[in-house]
Amino acid sequence: MKQVIPILLLAMAFTACQKEPDFNELSSELIVYTNYDKNVNFGKFATYAIPDSILVLDDKSKPTYFAANDPRTTAIIGAINSEMKTRGYTEVDNNLYADMGIQVSYVKDTNTIISYASTNPYWWYGYDYYWPGSYWNPYWWGWTPSYAYPISYTYTIGSLIIEFIALEDANASTKKIPVIWTAYMAGILSSNQLNINRTVTGIYQAFEQSPYIQSSVQ
Amino acid sequence: MKKITKILGAALLMAMSAMPFAGNAQIIKGGYFNVDWQFNAPVGNEYANVASGWGMNFEGGYYIIPKMSLGLFVSYHTNNKYIGEQVLQLSDTESLYTDQQHSIYQVPFGITSRWRFIEDRMFEPYIGVKLGAMYTRMESDTQVYTYYQDRWGFNVQPEIGFSLFPMPVNRIGFHMAIYYSYATNKSHVLTYNINGYNNIGFRLGISF
Repeated sequence: MKQVIPILLLAMAFTACQKEPDFNELSSELIVYTNYDKNVNFGKFATYAIPDSILVLDDKSKPTYFAANDPRTTAIIGAINSEMKTRGYTEVDNNLYADMGIQVSYVKDTNTIISYASTNPYWWYGYDYYWPGSYWNPYWWGWTPSYAYPISYTYTIGSLIIEFIALEDANASTKKIPVIWTAYMAGILSSNQLNINRTVTGIYQAFEQSPYIQSSVQ
Repeated sequence: MKKITKILGAALLMAMSAMPFAGNAQIIKGGYFNVDWQFNAPVGNEYANVASGWGMNFEGGYYIIPKMSLGLFVSYHTNNKYIGEQVLQLSDTESLYTDQQHSIYQVPFGITSRWRFIEDRMFEPYIGVKLGAMYTRMESDTQVYTYYQDRWGFNVQPEIGFSLFPMPVNRIGFHMAIYYSYATNKSHVLTYNINGYNNIGFRLGISF
């Protein structure tokens, strides 16, 4: 019977031998995830405001940005503006007069972010400087985002987040601004650098799979 | 293929190490062991229905009467399938654009029984059935995330095959079988459902 033992051990070892698929086939493809508040009528909005820089989420204590003249910023914000215009929205400079705000963030380091807490999916750790900060007009200092839907993804390094907030529906008593659309894209890095073409493709895809983003205001 | 070769090589070496070096004795008189490479094709679902040879089967039995054996078996198999980019509607409000590598990993184990039509000859055809439990992992890999669900179910596998002993007195030879496998496991990943696992395949290996 001793001779049987090696065979049994071998059998047990092989039961853990799941063959991994060829991940190389996936390496050049994007992931684009979108979610939205189904109680919001996107058609009621006519205007939006978008900052001229992109927030970089990293492990620094103070927020950093892709500057307005950074080619990454111009390409990303340009793609968003193009889609918004196509869908009937008008950009305004002053977010105090905008129906919607668009927040664009690049996740450089996830150390400061736990995007989803199972006990409270609507709470975002590490965002203390994010929404309430000076990224927007000082008017919004102390306001926090309010999600009507869970975000079930932990954002990974090298991903881009686009969020629509309904400035028009901001609640002054609770100091909360509803987040009504989230787009998240990964797979946009090449050689550890942001690949502009792939990022722009991801932005177009996010809008394409969100046909409900369409203004009906004449 | 290199990995298959390594696994098969390791299996053969281990099996040979357990074999008697001389004489005509079996490891257990009246018993048998099989170590098989397995080729499997899932049928009835399109999730990962690409046939593959990523699996093996191990079994051993004892002939309680000259023609009928009872024993134990365990096998495993993986089938993968690439799915090009598409938009998956995860819920009323959630959409996911991605490509995927689908994977089904199956590990059935339990009891096995055979009825051989000819005994102690060079060629021993038989019919058999395997009964037991089956563990499955239904998995979808994307570039960033892996989605999977593990499930257990009941498994039954009728099979027909033969053992071929070039020198019957040594009882060391080859084994081949074709089989059908059904398991009750129900799995759900992303927008995909599998309600029962059906497979057909064949096994090639050694018998001693």
